[in-house]
Amino acid sequence: MWTFGRKIAAGFTLAFLLLVVIGAVAYRSITSLAKTNQWVTHTYVVLDHITEVLSLLKDAETGQRGYIIAGDETYLEPYRGAIDRLPKVVKELGELTADNANQQRRLDEAKPVIAERLALLKRMIEVRREAGLEVAAKDIRTGEGKRLMDDLRRIMDQMDHEERDLLRQRADEVAAAASVAKSTIVFGTVFCLLFVTAAGFLITRSLSGQIGAAVRHVQSSSAELQSAANQQASGAKESSTAMTEITTTISELLATSRQIAESAQRVAHVAEETSSAARAGDQTVQKTHESVSGIKRQVDLIVTHMLDLGKKSQQIGGILEIINELAEQTNILAINATIEASGAGDAGKRFGVVADEIRKLADRVGGSTKEIRLLIEEIRAAVNTTVMATEGGSKAVDLGALQFAEVTAALRQITELLGTTTEAAREIELSTKQQATAVAQVNAAVSDIAKASKETEVSANQTLQTAGQLAGLSRELTRLIQAPANA
Amino acid sequence: MTAPPAVVSKAAELRNSFDRARAIPSSAQAVELVEGLLSIRVSGDPYAIRISEISGLANDRKVVPFSSSIPELLGVAGIRGGLVSVYSLAALLGYSREAEQARWLVLCEAEESVGLAFSDFEGYLPVPLTQVYATDQRDAARAYVKHVLRTADLVCAVVSIPDILELIKRRCDNSRPSKER
Repeated sequence: MWTFGRKIAAGFTLAFLLLVVIGAVAYRSITSLAKTNQWVTHTYVVLDHITEVLSLLKDAETGQRGYIIAGDETYLEPYRGAIDRLPKVVKELGELTADNANQQRRLDEAKPVIAERLALLKRMIEVRREAGLEVAAKDIRTGEGKRLMDDLRRIMDQMDHEERDLLRQRADEVAAAASVAKSTIVFGTVFCLLFVTAAGFLITRSLSGQIGAAVRHVQSSSAELQSAANQQASGAKESSTAMTEITTTISELLATSRQIAESAQRVAHVAEETSSAARAGDQTVQKTHESVSGIKRQVDLIVTHMLDLGKKSQQIGGILEIINELAEQTNILAINATIEASGAGDAGKRFGVVADEIRKLADRVGGSTKEIRLLIEEIRAAVNTTVMATEGGSKAVDLGALQFAEVTAALRQITELLGTTTEAAREIELSTKQQATAVAQVNAAVSDIAKASKETEVSANQTLQTAGQLAGLSRELTRLIQAPANA
Repeated sequence: MTAPPAVVSKAAELRNSFDRARAIPSSAQAVELVEGLLSIRVSGDPYAIRISEISGLANDRKVVPFSSSIPELLGVAGIRGGLVSVYSLAALLGYSREAEQARWLVLCEAEESVGLAFSDFEGYLPVPLTQVYATDQRDAARAYVKHVLRTADLVCAVVSIPDILELIKRRCDNSRPSKER
């Protein structure tokens, strides 16, 4: 898309070129006209010189005739004037017609005639002066002078005709050149006017469209600028309020930083005390660890004894099985004895009583073995439970020992970490003091920013006014652009 | 290591009981008429056997089976230097043959020694005759039960060993070839 400057420059360039062409054509025509006019003038000068040559010869002839008639020297004044002037005029005529071969030839033809005529005039004057009027008149009547003048008039007439032909030709050229110049000026001017009008119309229309669009864009932009300026003004106001709040908050932060520094100092002190306590705890845990190791050894011993007890209970169970079997067999024997005694009748009654007692005894032994078996089962269950509990205790003791080791390691780590904590607390104290200083600087900076926010608010209001002025200006520009169209 | 007090007292009680039984006069024991019974279980049911009808009690004896047309015959066992035919008491009483091993035997003296095998022996019961009641024999399934023992904590049938032996005899007779009759 062409810019405004480019369009205007193109229009003016074309108009300028047209003017240059028209001017060049007009200049050429005028130059040709002036040159032709100069040649016309030159022709008039040549005609004047031709006429003057004849006139001077007539003056010389007039003076010669007056002197011859009157014999008075005063009548020779025209003659003498012509004698002085004529060579000069002939010379100028030769120079004026130097570019014309015909005229030069005729002038060369005229020059001896003129010289002969002048010599004749001079001879006739001398004749008058020396021989008197009659002799002179007699010579005049020879007609030589008239013949020379006729020849000269004939030559001069030819030259005059030549010059007059040239004059007519040059007058025609002047008329043609003037006509060309006139046409060029008239038609060129009309064409140029038409072109300038068309170019002006096109450029005006194009510029009106583009400027109109730009002005509408400026209008919308100024509206947006107004809106943005409003937002900026409100934002700047909010920023100013926020900065005030931030200033208050930073003041509180400053006080808090100082409190943190004091707290960090106390933390460092407490950490040192805790580190001492942790070292003491480490020693206590070491002693406890040794005690736990002793408990573990005792528990292992208990487990061993309980396992032995379990094995012995199993052995007792085996022996009890034998006793039970013996009791059962005794019972069977006693029953069989009872059967035998009952078969023996009265003789076997006392034996039957014994057998019955043996059977009862065997029954009781069997019952007792059952009770003992139950007791042994309970013992074995108790032993198993005890072994399991003891093993659980052993594992718990192992776990406790392991945990004590972990506690010891943790206490050592706590001691180391407390050292680190002390250093960190001191660094925190130092950093917090530096932070307090920095916060004070930030406070000052925020105060400056608050001032800047207020200035921004003022600037935003100014921007708002400027945007309003820009909107008015764009409306005015729109009115200026659209006025011709509406009209 | 000393024995627990409970074991010591139990041993002392047994000793005293034995000594007391030996110290009581024999006339004092015959005040009440009692009958000796063996309490057993056949296929889980309680039964009683009069010791007056048997000749012995044995257990854990190896029974060698042999083929026979009598389904209740389990085999033969060596007891007291002789061969004894062993029958399943459960089968003779009408039960199916017991799944578990019948490790107890009661010995009966008939024409030849017979052993009746059963699974569980619970003990010797000296019961008064007043606690043994006769039963009706209308129930065919109870053909070998003629008395019932009824105590304060036990009620069970008393197996009639002679009837059982008679049954065995009939089975043996039936199983013999006819030309030998």
